[in-house]
Amino acid sequence: MLLQWRLSFVVASILLSVTPLAAHDMWIEPMTFSPEAGEIVGVRLRVGQDFLGDPIPRDPALINQFVVEDAEGRKPVVGRTGADPAGFVRAAMPGMLVIGYRSNPSAVEETAEKFNQYLKEEGLDAVAALRASRGQSGATREMFSRCAKSLVLSGSPGKAQGDRALGFTLELVAERNPYTMAAGQDLPVRLTYENRPLAGALVVAINRANPAQKLTARSGKDGRVRFRLPRGGMWMIKAVHMIEAPAGANAEWASYWASLTFELAS
Amino acid sequence: MVCLALFVSATILQAHEIGTTRVSAALHEGRSYDIEIVTDAPSLVEKLDAVAGSPMSSVPSSALSPTALRDRLVAGEDLFRQRFAVAFDGAATRPAILFSVTPAADEVSPILATIRLTGAIPQGARNFTWDYSWTFASYALSVKSADAADPTVEWLEGGQASTPFSLTTPAPRVTRAATAWRYATLGFTHIVPHGLDHMLFVIGIFLFSRKLRTVLWQVSAFTVAHSLTLGLSIYGLISVPPAVVEPLIAISIAYIAIENLVLTELKPWRIALVFAFGLLHGMGFAGALQELGLPRSQFLTALLTFNIGVEAGQLAVIGAAFLLVGWQCSHRVWYRHRVVVPASVLIGCTAVYWTVARLGFGL
Repeated sequence: MLLQWRLSFVVASILLSVTPLAAHDMWIEPMTFSPEAGEIVGVRLRVGQDFLGDPIPRDPALINQFVVEDAEGRKPVVGRTGADPAGFVRAAMPGMLVIGYRSNPSAVEETAEKFNQYLKEEGLDAVAALRASRGQSGATREMFSRCAKSLVLSGSPGKAQGDRALGFTLELVAERNPYTMAAGQDLPVRLTYENRPLAGALVVAINRANPAQKLTARSGKDGRVRFRLPRGGMWMIKAVHMIEAPAGANAEWASYWASLTFELAS
Repeated sequence: MVCLALFVSATILQAHEIGTTRVSAALHEGRSYDIEIVTDAPSLVEKLDAVAGSPMSSVPSSALSPTALRDRLVAGEDLFRQRFAVAFDGAATRPAILFSVTPAADEVSPILATIRLTGAIPQGARNFTWDYSWTFASYALSVKSADAADPTVEWLEGGQASTPFSLTTPAPRVTRAATAWRYATLGFTHIVPHGLDHMLFVIGIFLFSRKLRTVLWQVSAFTVAHSLTLGLSIYGLISVPPAVVEPLIAISIAYIAIENLVLTELKPWRIALVFAFGLLHGMGFAGALQELGLPRSQFLTALLTFNIGVEAGQLAVIGAAFLLVGWQCSHRVWYRHRVVVPASVLIGCTAVYWTVARLGFGL
């Protein structure tokens, strides 16, 4: 690498955390989490890590579903091909907007070293164990799909409003409306895979102002985790699930990347 | 539109997550380079801040003004340098950096930073490589050298080094088909329009033959003969200097013309004579082909296709003569007086003149 390690230890450790990892998160970053009624909100898609990301312009070849759901029902998120923000939603009336982006699978080939590192980072111990038991130690090919969600609230939060399931393959659902919460309170989150609770998965919560300090938990039998969110600002909850790729997929593994972004009052 | 085209072509390759970063490198005739990075300004500023160890603001840097963003980029120049590489023959160079940030077209459009890297290409550098780690997404690198019409585009992931781009332009590989076509064309043009002597010889044969069969027999004999001496001369098995061959070719043309005038009907020895003259013309063709040069790797292809080209040229001359005079005319009473005699006189005079000139009398 061309990095010059002439930096202090502290800076070097931060540098390490920014060094591109084997795999990146994908999340939705609306231009505002609290639009006025009638306001049009740009929906940016971002790929990166620790909230450092690159905008991903709208690519019809990648979009499987790009939707927004409010009290009135579900609508497609419109946008112009190749543009960043990838889409726009209109906060037609006060209430919660659940924005969802489900991508088509992308193929990626990884060296054994990178793949093993990534399995460790994402807590995919079962897959690592399965590979070890089969004596698989070579490079691998994977199909990954994104299942990103974001919660945007227009107006004041009502009791009935909250997150809801969009039916994504892997999905994080906030079981309490984060816009009714304050910093220091608990947020229960449920993780589902094919609409059934997913147990034992590593779920991570990251705050934008302090991405290095991650909250982690394993989902219980009911797919639930509970995070005590210590501060306000933008949060991302994320989880990765990996299965063996179906026959004919031209890959060994298939992974699903769920994320949920929202803003917590300070 | 260009963006969209790049976009579409990339998604066909593989549906990767393509970002908004673009890198274009111009390499000016081995002297200097000029690389332009266009990227989302707020996200680059955030990454620089994170690497510098500054606490991350809860306010997105997209709220900053273009001037403020530019100032932050300029302040982070040293850090920025650590995660890209402009290398020639594997050795990194230190370019001059110019940051600029253009205001967004409207409220929802992204604010883009344009970063120009300029410098000199080291003397004798053979290849260029690029590496850029300030993006997590896929991006397109387009490299254009001064002599290339179109840039070379490569899709890269952040942190992935480009394949070396050669600065020395290799000689284009010539395909067998291209060589064949080139030498066939050379063979043809050696007759039409450049080989007036060969044209007159063929016309001479045509004039005196009232039957298609006799023309074809003579042309075939001529072809076999000149192919033989062309091949033998090219392979160096026979060698007759042009000073001898060229006047003899002129004499052969004069002879055919004279025979056309003197005789009233075709004699059996004509075909043998045409064969002998073919041997002479073949040596002439060999001289011409040696002047043009033959590719070492595709020697036989060139030789055979040149011969085919010569043949096509001769057939074209006969075809043209046939169209001009018409087969019917050759059976008319006046054909001999009005066509064969004047044409043969003309051909004969020209050939005699060439003979004298080629013998070096400098007329």
